Amino acid sequence: MSSLSAVVYRETKIRMTNLTFIFWDVFFPLGYMLIFGVGVNAALGAPAGLSGVDYNSFFLAGVLAMASFAIASNTSWSFFLDRDNGIFYEMLTYPMSRSEYLLGKVIFNVFIAILQTALTLLAGYLLLRIHIRWETLPMLLIGMALGTAGWFFFYSIFALKTKRNDVFNSVTSIFYFVFLFASSMFYPLDPLPGWFRITALINPITWQIDWLRYMSVGIGSLRIVLAEGAAFLIFSSVCFFYAVRCLQEQE
Amino acid sequence: MNQFALEVENLVKVYATRGKDPVRAVDGMNFAVTRGTIFGLLGPNGAGKSTLLRVLTTLTRPTEGTARILGCDVVKKPLEVRKRICSVIQETAAELFLSVKDNLLTYARFQSLGNRVASQRAEQLIEEFQLCDVAERKVQDLSGGFRRRVQVAKLFMVESPVMFLDEFSTGMDPILKRQVMSRLRAEAENGRTIILTTQILSEAEELCDDILIIDKGRQIARGDLDTLKQLSQGVFEIAMTFDRLPEAVESEIATLKPIRTLIEGNTVEVALKTEEGKVMEIVNGLARNRHVLRVEVRGASLEDIFVELTTQNRKERS
Repeated sequence: MSSLSAVVYRETKIRMTNLTFIFWDVFFPLGYMLIFGVGVNAALGAPAGLSGVDYNSFFLAGVLAMASFAIASNTSWSFFLDRDNGIFYEMLTYPMSRSEYLLGKVIFNVFIAILQTALTLLAGYLLLRIHIRWETLPMLLIGMALGTAGWFFFYSIFALKTKRNDVFNSVTSIFYFVFLFASSMFYPLDPLPGWFRITALINPITWQIDWLRYMSVGIGSLRIVLAEGAAFLIFSSVCFFYAVRCLQEQE
Repeated sequence: MNQFALEVENLVKVYATRGKDPVRAVDGMNFAVTRGTIFGLLGPNGAGKSTLLRVLTTLTRPTEGTARILGCDVVKKPLEVRKRICSVIQETAAELFLSVKDNLLTYARFQSLGNRVASQRAEQLIEEFQLCDVAERKVQDLSGGFRRRVQVAKLFMVESPVMFLDEFSTGMDPILKRQVMSRLRAEAENGRTIILTTQILSEAEELCDDILIIDKGRQIARGDLDTLKQLSQGVFEIAMTFDRLPEAVESEIATLKPIRTLIEGNTVEVALKTEEGKVMEIVNGLARNRHVLRVEVRGASLEDIFVELTTQNRKERS
C-alpha cells in the first residue's frame, strides 16, 4: 500500500509543478461542450431519433468520455517523459510491483477525471440547463473512474511497446480520430449506415459513453448499459494485465 | 544466516536480434559475493556488466540460471529483491520536474521512510553533496554533474543492505568523487554490500575488496587486487621521461610487443610481459645514447592486468 501511495505522491507532485497539464485536462472538454455543443445545439437542434432531448444533453456524456480518454492519453505519455529523464528504469528497481506502479500512476488522474466531471456537470446544469439525474451520480463517477483507468491501461500498452515518442504521438492521433468519431460520442447510432453502426457498437468508448449517458441524463436502456459496462470492465482488465506484462518485459 | 549477499549460478542472458545471431550478453556466470564487501565488476564496453546488473536488479529476466540477493531469487521473488536493494543506473536518472529536495523526499517515500527521518536525511545529504544553493531548484534547470549528485545522494537516504552502482562517478568532479568513495567505504564497513561497475580502473583499485573481470559475457578472472596481480605475474610497467622524445622510440617499443603503450609529451609509459631479469636490460636499451630525466619501474597495475587478461581471452576465443 505504501508503494501505491508513493507513486500517487510522485505523480501528484509532478503534475502540480505543471498546471498547464491539469488546465487542459479539466477545461478542454468543458470548452468543447460550451462551444462545439452549444453551436450544434443552436444550429441543428435535437439529434435525430431522440425526441425531447436537446443536443447539449445528448453531448454531455460524450464530453465526459472525451475527458476520460484525453486524461488517459496524457498520463500514458508520461512513460516517455520518465524514459527521457532516465528515471523509468531506475523506478522499476524500487520496492514496488509492476501493477502498483501502473495503478499508482492512474489514481491521481482518476481524481482529475472526477474533478473534471464535477465541473462539467455543474456547467451543464447551471449554464445549459441540462436536466441531470443526480440520483445516479455515484454510478456516473464510477464510470468515469473506471473509464479513465481502462483507457490508461490501453494506452500504456502502446506507450510501453513503442520506444519512440513520435510513433506514439501518431498512434494517439489515429486513436483519437477512430475511437471518438466511430462512436456514439457526437451522434446517435440509429441513423448511421450499418457498417458504421457495427463499428461504433464494438468500440469500447461507445460502451463507456452509453453508461455515462444513462447515468447522467437517463438516455438508453439499463439492460444494454449494464452489458456494455460489463464488457468495458473485461476490456479494462485485459488491458491492465497486458500492460503489466509489457512493463515486466521492459529491458 | 547466509554469508553471501549475492549468489549467481550458471547465469545466462541471451538477446534475440532480428535477422542476426542471438547475443549471449551473459554467458554462464558463477560467483558469490560476501556480505559487507565492495565488489567491482570490470570489463570493456559490451562485456555484459550492465546486463548482469540489470538481471540482478530485476530489470531483466535471465534466460537460464539463477541469481539470489540475500537468498531471494531475482525471478521468483523480484519484489523481495527490490526491498533489499538500491541502485544507480548508468544513465543520469532524476525527477527533472521536481526540486532537488523533492527528489530525495520522493525517493524516501518509495523506500517507506518516515517523513521526519526523510527530512533529516535529505537536509544532511543536501549539505554533504554541496547542493544547498540549488536545493529548491528544479533538477531540469541544473547541469549534468548536479543531476548525477542528486541521483547518487538518493542512495544514502536509505539503508538497503545491497547497493548497485553502474559507473557511479560519471560526470562527478574529482573532489566529490573522493568524498563519495570514502562514504561508500564507510557504508561497507557498516555491513552494506556494494556492487559496482566501472571503467575507471584506478577507482576499482582503490575501492574494491573483490574484483571480477568479465569480457563478452564470461568471467575472466576473480579475486582481490593481490590475487589478480598474481595472475598477471611478469607484467611490468616502465615509465621514462626524456629531455626530448627520441624519434625512434615508438618503433623500438613496438618490437617489445607491449601490452599497453602511452606516449605523452616527453614521457613514455610501457606495460609489457617479460622476465624480471630482463626489465633493466630493456630500460638500458631505451636509455642508450639518450638523456633520461626520470625512470620508474613497477609491477602491473589493475589496468595492465585488465588489458592483458581481456586481450588474452579474446585471442583464445577467436
